Amino acid sequence: MIIADFSNQLPEQAASGSFLWIKILLIILLLVILRAFMVGRGLLLAKRLFALVLFLVLVALVLFPDVSNYAAHHLGVGRGVDLLFYLSHLFLLLLIVSLWRRMAGLADTVTKLSRRFAIDTARKPQDKNSPADTKPSA
Amino acid sequence: MAESSIWVVVPAYNEEKVIGGVLKELVDCNPAFNVVVVDDGSKDGTAAEAARLRQVHLLHHPVNLGQGAALATGFEYALGQGAGIVITFDADGQMNPSDINKMVAKIKEGFDVVLGSRFLNVQPVGMPALRKFLLRLAVIFTRVTGRLKVTDMHNGLRAFRADALRKIVITQNQMAHASEILSEISRNRLKYCEVPVGIRYTDYSKAKGQSIFNSINIMYELLTGAKK
Repeated sequence: MIIADFSNQLPEQAASGSFLWIKILLIILLLVILRAFMVGRGLLLAKRLFALVLFLVLVALVLFPDVSNYAAHHLGVGRGVDLLFYLSHLFLLLLIVSLWRRMAGLADTVTKLSRRFAIDTARKPQDKNSPADTKPSA
Repeated sequence: MAESSIWVVVPAYNEEKVIGGVLKELVDCNPAFNVVVVDDGSKDGTAAEAARLRQVHLLHHPVNLGQGAALATGFEYALGQGAGIVITFDADGQMNPSDINKMVAKIKEGFDVVLGSRFLNVQPVGMPALRKFLLRLAVIFTRVTGRLKVTDMHNGLRAFRADALRKIVITQNQMAHASEILSEISRNRLKYCEVPVGIRYTDYSKAKGQSIFNSINIMYELLTGAKK
């Protein structure tokens, strides 16, 4: 197994010590991110639930990294880390596309608002004999 | 409002140095022109300079949106005011107001849209060679992609009959609107023609005009944004 090879390359003590710290750090970071999803307004319940499930999965993966290896081997991917790498890239790309869409929608809204404002606040010609009401040109 | 009232839409972004002169030329050229300036969120004194001419309609975008958006705003306003013929005219002083009369004459002959061309039967005076080459490329691009057969794609001087203009939908806020207008003409099967127009390449307009690198951006906008 690849993960066994990996830990064999490191001195036993240093490996277990640093692995423990990085696990604590990762879980703390995940908690912070989870909190960002849970507090505050504007998020649908479905999204909060999705964040909660994702949080639980990620915590499980941090605590039991062998699970991702097991899944990766079944899918024909070398290591669990690689599988997570692929999945997170796919997820981020989807996120970018959906953000682009949303930004295009916002830009559209801004354009419409600005246009409405521009037309509603237009300054008309101020001369008494303004060209707006004169005869057409030849 | 008369059927054939002529409305000239001038999109302007940071043109304080020349906008006054351009508007004055337009108003002097034909006092019956209804000039609509769309200040596209300029950060300089463009709005104040334009406001000095009491004969013009003055509109402000609160934020900068791009030339395509400014034109669309001007169109909506002019049509709402009962325009009969709508002209698009650049604010940078490159264009000659007297060319408008030629275009109006063509509309009155029965064309829906009249496009100004720098290349039709005329040698553009003082146009940089590289720019000439790129504008030729743009024409080839448009022809290859099956749009209109025109000799000058990115000329800002155009004339529209009001009922034809109502059919033209501009979604491209930035510079790709120029190609978009052409594809809209083709989609709606509007009757169009080109007329030769003069163009003045001053040092100011060259510095102010489209960077040639922007042709890449325009192509990108068209290829990615058009199917929004």
